[in-house]
Amino acid sequence: MSFIKQKKKSEEQIKNIILIGNPNVGKSVIFGILTGQYVVVSNYPGTTVEISRGNAGFHGNKYQVIDTPGIANLLPMSTDEVVTRDILFEEKDSVIIQVADSKNLARTLLITLQLAEMKIPFILVMNMMDEARERRINIDFKKLSKMLGTQVFPTVAISRTGTDKILPAIEKADVSTYEFKYDPFIEDAVKKIEGYLPDFPISKRSVAIMLLSEDMSLNKWLDEKLTPQGREEIQGIIRDTRKRYPDPLEIVINKERLQNTDRLIKEVAVIEKAPRKGFMYNAGRICMHPVWGVPILIAVLTLMYFFVGKFAAGTVVDFFMGTVFGNAVEGTGIINPFIARVLESIIPIKFVQDLLVGEYGLISVGITYAIAIVLPIVAAFFFFFGILEDSGYLPRLAIIANRVCKWAGLNGKAVLPLILGLGCGAMATISARILDSPKERMLVILLLALGVPCSAQLGLIMGMLAGLKSYAFFIWLFIVLGSMILVGFIANKLIPGETSDFILEIPPLRFPSLKNIAVKTLARIEWYLREAVPIFLLATLFLFFIDKVGILQIIRDMAAPVMAKILSLPPEVTDSFMMGFLRRDYGAAGLLEMARKGMLSNNQILVSMVTITLFLPCVAQMFVIIKEKGLKTAVAVAAFVFTFAFIVGGLLNFALNALGVVL
Amino acid sequence: MIDKDERDQSLESPLCDICKHHAVEIDTEIDELLETIWVLREKGKVTENHYRESGAGNVILDNLDRLKKMNLIYLKEGHVTFTDGGEKHARDLIRRHRLTERMLTDLFDIPRGRIEAPSCQFEHILSEEVTDSICSFLGHPSTCPHGRPIPPGECCKKLTKTITPLVIPLVDLMPGEKGRIVFIATKDRRRLRRLSSLGINPEGIVTVNQKLPTVVIHVDETEIAMDHALVSEIYVKRITDNG
Ligand SMILES: Nc1nc2c(ncn2[C@@H]2O[C@H](COP(=O)(O)OP(=O)(O)O)[C@@H](O)[C@H]2O)c(=O)[nH]1
Ligand SMILES: [Zn+2]
Repeated sequence: MSFIKQKKKSEEQIKNIILIGNPNVGKSVIFGILTGQYVVVSNYPGTTVEISRGNAGFHGNKYQVIDTPGIANLLPMSTDEVVTRDILFEEKDSVIIQVADSKNLARTLLITLQLAEMKIPFILVMNMMDEARERRINIDFKKLSKMLGTQVFPTVAISRTGTDKILPAIEKADVSTYEFKYDPFIEDAVKKIEGYLPDFPISKRSVAIMLLSEDMSLNKWLDEKLTPQGREEIQGIIRDTRKRYPDPLEIVINKERLQNTDRLIKEVAVIEKAPRKGFMYNAGRICMHPVWGVPILIAVLTLMYFFVGKFAAGTVVDFFMGTVFGNAVEGTGIINPFIARVLESIIPIKFVQDLLVGEYGLISVGITYAIAIVLPIVAAFFFFFGILEDSGYLPRLAIIANRVCKWAGLNGKAVLPLILGLGCGAMATISARILDSPKERMLVILLLALGVPCSAQLGLIMGMLAGLKSYAFFIWLFIVLGSMILVGFIANKLIPGETSDFILEIPPLRFPSLKNIAVKTLARIEWYLREAVPIFLLATLFLFFIDKVGILQIIRDMAAPVMAKILSLPPEVTDSFMMGFLRRDYGAAGLLEMARKGMLSNNQILVSMVTITLFLPCVAQMFVIIKEKGLKTAVAVAAFVFTFAFIVGGLLNFALNALGVVL
Repeated sequence: MIDKDERDQSLESPLCDICKHHAVEIDTEIDELLETIWVLREKGKVTENHYRESGAGNVILDNLDRLKKMNLIYLKEGHVTFTDGGEKHARDLIRRHRLTERMLTDLFDIPRGRIEAPSCQFEHILSEEVTDSICSFLGHPSTCPHGRPIPPGECCKKLTKTITPLVIPLVDLMPGEKGRIVFIATKDRRRLRRLSSLGINPEGIVTVNQKLPTVVIHVDETEIAMDHALVSEIYVKRITDNG
């Protein structure tokens, strides 16, 4: 375990500020305020899966601010909690800011008591005061501060109310003076164990209590730090104490802590009985209503379809493609013909011209696709997703979808990564970490690779299918969803392991702040431009070269019979599929171009759309899968998805022909 | 052979006293006989002929004289009938036995196949007071896990109006109802911690908001959605608004 590493002495000691607290209490917002840096803020518990670090300064003092994954208890249960707890051990010269949801005092104080026990300096930021006030929870902060012996600040982070007091308070942060005693037998054991413990960044008392709670994550540390004899003694004490109680010690200790928080709450808070009503509350209830929840879900998806599929992928893309960028060969639009003309006059080298504005030109295809086609769609999706996320709709969606997810061996929680997959498969594959069991993570990664199109691709698909008979879209949807459920159902049987319990905290429905959504969307677009556009250009370059040396033609020739026989598609579609591996949306963009030029019949559009939706995930996503699950699994996933896509596409083509359907 | 009074007394006394009694062996034997008669009666078998036909009945035929002598049953035209004393005694035994079965399955999740042996022991040793407490705790259940009726006791009669059980699984609350958590019957510690970290602890007050498509409950100011399986492990006492 790394927390015992000695800290290197740097000349200028920069103090650490560590933000800890329950999930979804506003840590990320406060991190942003303190550092001026943006991290993804969302109204969904458990989304901070990575630790963010940033810098803050006040009156010449420099700090490093660390945002940690949300925790419920400092007795670690999940990997997130181990991460957070270990940071507390590791960062010796640090001040903790406990960020709390003021309306949930009990859960807040459970953590506070443990921090007090550890004897680390901390301050308590009681955030979300607006919501607490709305619910008539009155907290006597002066009294709370006095009882805890630490500074306490009420804030409303989203409107920056009270947050200016945080940094000035850091220098004065001190260890809490609050102490309480456990049951005599436990106290007795704590005393005895303390005697065997070496010095430690946190109080021996708290370590002793963790040991009594049978915190397995400490075992390794015990092995390293203690003599086998000392270890044996401690184990003996724990065994003896355990015998005194019918329940596991962990539960006994937790119970006592809870009783203590209750006592504190009675002292400092008055909760008037306020009826939990109001528009947002009722709206929140309706979103997860067994009956009304479904039409609302359909309405949300329809809205998304119109916004992303019709408006962004249709109107906006047409405008950018047709009017702004255009096509040099056809002489439409402004930018492409203009650049082509300029190039002709300054660099009269055919190769360079081809490289930039040719059939696979970096500008005529790479930049044009990335900016004119994909960007508007991605932006629209991220904006829409931001609203879903910040309003608190997503967890409600998880409730509605829980049943369906169960068929595929998942639970409602899987909805978040799957929906995020509509934004970007790579991002979503990373976020599969929020799921509890390895099996579920594997299932979600597989399904993301198989059937979840990213927003740009989805937008394009929606845009293209919108031109067909109205039921074409539903055939596509039915096949893709059906494939996912079928594959999930079978994989659930094949992959060993268990589905975890579905427990999810439902945050209140909130009016999303437009500013936060704008900032978030911009941050995600920036991420897209930085991560995706280079891959676009690389992909174009790749195609350009294999076209020049003739490999593309060879691959096309090889793929042509497959394309023609199984899918009844023209050989040029191969290019799109190859591009699709580099970026899924890129492939769909190629198909859209072909459709715009009238190279595909309506049936061919549907078949190619279904096949490319199920086709390989993009390179970026493949890399993430390799990183998360290893090369072997990634190759297996790819091989399966590849074969499956063509089988389903072939079956669809066959069915359309056999039934004589003309779309 | 001991007389009835002494036996009754031994039933009322705690286990250690019973152990001291030498007569315990015979005691349980009589108890088993009375129970067998009760169960056969539930199946409509009440005559000596019936007894002869069914395997279990033969034991009773062998002991008819003993039971008659103890004034627990009487015979009339081949019909075996309990005396008032016998009826009460048998009924209490059955009640204790089946309540124990209920307790073992509902509270402790012991599989049905393994409840018989402990139930047979408890039925001889529980005092009436303890039995009624268990009955109230379980919410005056009307049948055993095998679906046979549990004879009601005094406690049940007093509460005939509120048939609502005292301690029920949280899933049994209707949407909008509130309960105080009594215990969480899970052996999975991770689950327990998980629940605990969300504020679901004994003594906590929960409100059920909805049950479909997924159960959503309210604890403090937190709304939590969870699987049916989890919610059925949480046992609560229903709280009505008037107290
Ligand atoms: N009403 C209200 N909402 C807040 C406040 N602070 C943060 N939020 C919202 O709470 C949600 C969770 O915030 P976030 O910073 O992601 O929480 P974290 O998981 O602790 O990092 C977001 O939707 C925020 O906009 C506050 O003071 N009042
Ligand atoms: Zn009763």
